[in-house]
Amino acid sequence: MMETRSSRPTEQAEVTLTVPADSRYLSVVRTAAAGLGARLDFTLDDIEDLRIAVDEACVLLLKQARPESQVRCEFTVEGLGLGVRASAPCHRPKVPPRDGFSWTVLSALTTTLAMEVQDGELVISLTRSRGGDDLL
Amino acid sequence: MLEDDVRELTGAAFRRLQALPDDDPARPDLRADLVALNLPLVEHLARRFRNRGEPYDDLVQVGTIGLIKAVDRFDLGREVEFSTYATPTIVGEIKRWFRDKGWSIRVPRRLQELRLSLASATSELTQELGRSPTVKELAHRLAIGEDEILEGLESANAYSTVSLDAPESTAWDGASVGDALGEYDDALATVEFRESLRPLLEALAPRERRIVVLRFFRQMTQTQIAADVGMSQMHVSRLLARSLATLREGLTGDD
Repeated sequence: MMETRSSRPTEQAEVTLTVPADSRYLSVVRTAAAGLGARLDFTLDDIEDLRIAVDEACVLLLKQARPESQVRCEFTVEGLGLGVRASAPCHRPKVPPRDGFSWTVLSALTTTLAMEVQDGELVISLTRSRGGDDLL
Repeated sequence: MLEDDVRELTGAAFRRLQALPDDDPARPDLRADLVALNLPLVEHLARRFRNRGEPYDDLVQVGTIGLIKAVDRFDLGREVEFSTYATPTIVGEIKRWFRDKGWSIRVPRRLQELRLSLASATSELTQELGRSPTVKELAHRLAIGEDEILEGLESANAYSTVSLDAPESTAWDGASVGDALGEYDDALATVEFRESLRPLLEALAPRERRIVVLRFFRQMTQTQIAADVGMSQMHVSRLLARSLATLREGLTGDD
């Protein structure tokens, strides 16, 4: 018999992952995000969105990150959603244009999205709530 | 064996086969003979798909499935040569394999198998539940751990770089595989998006463009897109990942 999806809020948890600012480490970040999505009982659709969103956010950071620096990803599991704050130290951090493709992609995949420059770092904050059990 | 001999023997075997009652014990042997006899046709067709990153032996194996289907469906009353009848079925099977299972990065066989069972469990469960399944549900269905499911999802993105829009290596009929996949461009017309993004999207192949537009501009889920475009959700996932990679390469500067 199929288990039903849990509707109770999961415990609150914080997970921090720091990886070299190098695209070869993106799979580690994607997999961590997918694992947390699984804990929240996200559907594959939600998990795929989360993976692409985290990937896209990190790619934006990698474009500006100082060489040899680290990308820091703080995941917050709260209720039925996941928050991600991804940041990297940059030489001249600049928030990407809102009408660019990356912003379009990210906002389609996330529930909330914000980008800002903070203490010499570009910071991308996003949340993703568990999608409805939408019918096809 | 000469081509004419093959044709003769094939015709004779089909006449015998089709004269036999459905449950005649001689049927399986005749069927096997017909497959063996026409294997050179499969080999010939598989050679057209060489140099596309897939092992020739695998192509022959997949093509043979097409041959078997053709043997089972062929009707002498059609008055066409069996080879004429079988060719599209064999080529179709090879193309489908490229489309669904083509891998460019060598992924360990265990992961390939995992990915394939994931793909079929995903579509089964989507049918049953009326929504995309959770990792827990997939793990339960396949009787494996959630970690393995996650590993399978990541490996699924080691997608093929065999372009489905590249013309086939020999003059087959001049059509690219993409032509067989229908019309995808109407998506662009019905969506409002910033003009600045148009040239970017136009750099994508029509099918990829349609998927990108449906996902990012029309907010459809991967499962909905899969149903709309007629492919598996995992294939949609792979094409999206590939499209984003292409678009990133096309973007310069600070976007």
